[in-house]
Amino acid sequence: MIEKIKETVKKLFKENKIDILIGYSEGTLPLRSTPCFITRPEDIEKLVWNSYCFNNLAVYLPRFFVPQPGKKDAKLPKIGILAKGCDGRSIVGLIKEHQIPRENLYIIGIHCEGMIDIKKIQDTGCKMQEVDIIAAEEKNDKVLVEDGDKKKVELKKEELLADVCASCQYTAPVIYDILIGKEKGKTKKEDREAIIKEFEKKSLEERWKYFQEQVSKCIRCNACRQACPNCYCKECFAEQTKPKWIGATNDISDVMFYQIGRIFHQAGRCVDCGACVRACPMGVDLRVFTYKLIKDVKEFFEYEAGVSLEEAPPLATFKSDDKQEFITEP
Amino acid sequence: MENVKFKIIKKKKVLSLLDSLTKEYNIFVPVEEDGDVRFSGFKSGQDISWDYRNTKISPKEILFPPTETLFSFGPGAEVKPEGSTPGGKDYLIFGIRPCDAKAISLLDKVFGGDDFQDPYYLKRRKETTIISLACSKPQIDCFCTSLKGKPDNEEGTDIILFDLGEDIIARPVTKKGGKFIENLSSWFKEAKESDVTKKDKLMDLSLKKIQFQVDIQNIKERLDDAFDASFWNEIHQKCLGCGICTYFCPTCHCFDITDEINPRAGDSTTPEGKRVRCWDSCMYPLFTLHASGHNPRPTYKERMRQRIMHKFNYCPENFEEIFCVGCGRCIRNCPVNIDLREILISIDLS
Repeated sequence: MIEKIKETVKKLFKENKIDILIGYSEGTLPLRSTPCFITRPEDIEKLVWNSYCFNNLAVYLPRFFVPQPGKKDAKLPKIGILAKGCDGRSIVGLIKEHQIPRENLYIIGIHCEGMIDIKKIQDTGCKMQEVDIIAAEEKNDKVLVEDGDKKKVELKKEELLADVCASCQYTAPVIYDILIGKEKGKTKKEDREAIIKEFEKKSLEERWKYFQEQVSKCIRCNACRQACPNCYCKECFAEQTKPKWIGATNDISDVMFYQIGRIFHQAGRCVDCGACVRACPMGVDLRVFTYKLIKDVKEFFEYEAGVSLEEAPPLATFKSDDKQEFITEP
Repeated sequence: MENVKFKIIKKKKVLSLLDSLTKEYNIFVPVEEDGDVRFSGFKSGQDISWDYRNTKISPKEILFPPTETLFSFGPGAEVKPEGSTPGGKDYLIFGIRPCDAKAISLLDKVFGGDDFQDPYYLKRRKETTIISLACSKPQIDCFCTSLKGKPDNEEGTDIILFDLGEDIIARPVTKKGGKFIENLSSWFKEAKESDVTKKDKLMDLSLKKIQFQVDIQNIKERLDDAFDASFWNEIHQKCLGCGICTYFCPTCHCFDITDEINPRAGDSTTPEGKRVRCWDSCMYPLFTLHASGHNPRPTYKERMRQRIMHKFNYCPENFEEIFCVGCGRCIRNCPVNIDLREILISIDLS
């Protein structure tokens, strides 16, 4: 796979089709790959592809196309980007919201087999407080981790798969210029639905309690927002002062407002890439709410974010037969 | 305090000792929750985490809280400065790692410097006793030894403890620490020579685990001429612009002050409110946004440069100290694996 990627990138640079390539290189810590920006063909060898390429690279795209005052005719760069299914869905969303021009992108689509979630290592019994993982090696469907005493533990990749990956519905990007890899069998859609159903069954008090528990961990570092390709606003509502929507404190009411606002701005836009949950250093997991948004948008407006370039976003259209029950009978 | 003898206490007894101090002190101890460790208020009968790696959030949050009310105001309300320790009890921070204790000694220079005195921080700090726990569990991203630190570094601590398994060895570092132990002398015995040897061996072992070395010599001078260097063009590229590196950093100390108004309280013409200061981060664009709309640090590049320059050039200039203790938190928690050690190495290469 990685050879095919490198070969493709080499060709793109040679044919002058891209100025920059956004991909992944080896991270400095075990179980980590890191986003990288390649502008020199000699750096292509740095590229890696493994189960730790979890960052959603689409988040970097809008910054290359921010309108510069007084530089209207500035030449826009041509960008090559490695895109898993989720990165691809984000790219579709960004194109539709006019943040990035399709013609300036060369999308190297990749059939993704799912990325691991480092936090899941805890669940397998490798307690992070006890075991210091100093190295990791990936072999087929296994991940071999080595601790400080050179003890090796073999873990099944399947068990380490991030929840979003385990229930991913589009493992390859829906738009691409080249697609690399082989399609893997369908993942479990039921998981996600089960999570929502179970949550919906809970009483209002229980749901509120869960939400409170999750947001009370938040330290307002904004990592969820910054990691989200959809959060490209030049000025976030959380920081506006005229009008001032929320306070800057870590008071639970401010934190709640921040999290509710952040999630609700994703209605019809969230592509379920999981970048917010992955980036959160405090383990805040509000995915059940983004799932619910995705489900509602699909039910009410027959729309799914990030899967079609043509279909108009529900918030940008009005149809006389649009469902309104969510307003009239909440 | 070089000649002060080591004291020893059974580990089992430490909890009872802490228990006996709850009347006098607000005690903060490391506690494990969901696989992470964080400092929280000690409650009678609870256990504490002895062999933790390091806390996710640094204990700076105790002395420099993420949100702090400076004073409240409103119709008829007196402007009352707040910020003293709750309940009038002194703080006892128990079991912090030496890197974090050193970080507190650095914060002291900022909040208690010659030019500016921060009464909120200083009052709390004056009422605080710090007992550190020598580090036996360095992680792969720790690099304190590159920054003149070590697993049993004593800067910033009043007493340092060593965990020998069944026993805990204590060594008073400051006068305050000496007095603290003296007042509790019935709890301690003199440590035997063999216990001290055991402790030395433990520290040697710990020191060996910290393998990563960054050449930090003359870093300030090397950065003096580096403001316009080309490597800044690349190291910021993958930064997402979140506040993790700065919020988790035990030495980062920037804050923002805002008035939080409750328009519904009081009569509607004179609102009630409070002036609060919250952690802020140089990685946010708003940090330097002027009222005119101009931003002197408009892109990720300038903001990343600021973070590095502040720690390794401006602080050495202002306080004669590098404001990094090598705790590795910014590396460990960065969502895109930006590694400060790599950045420091790249400064060298350019």
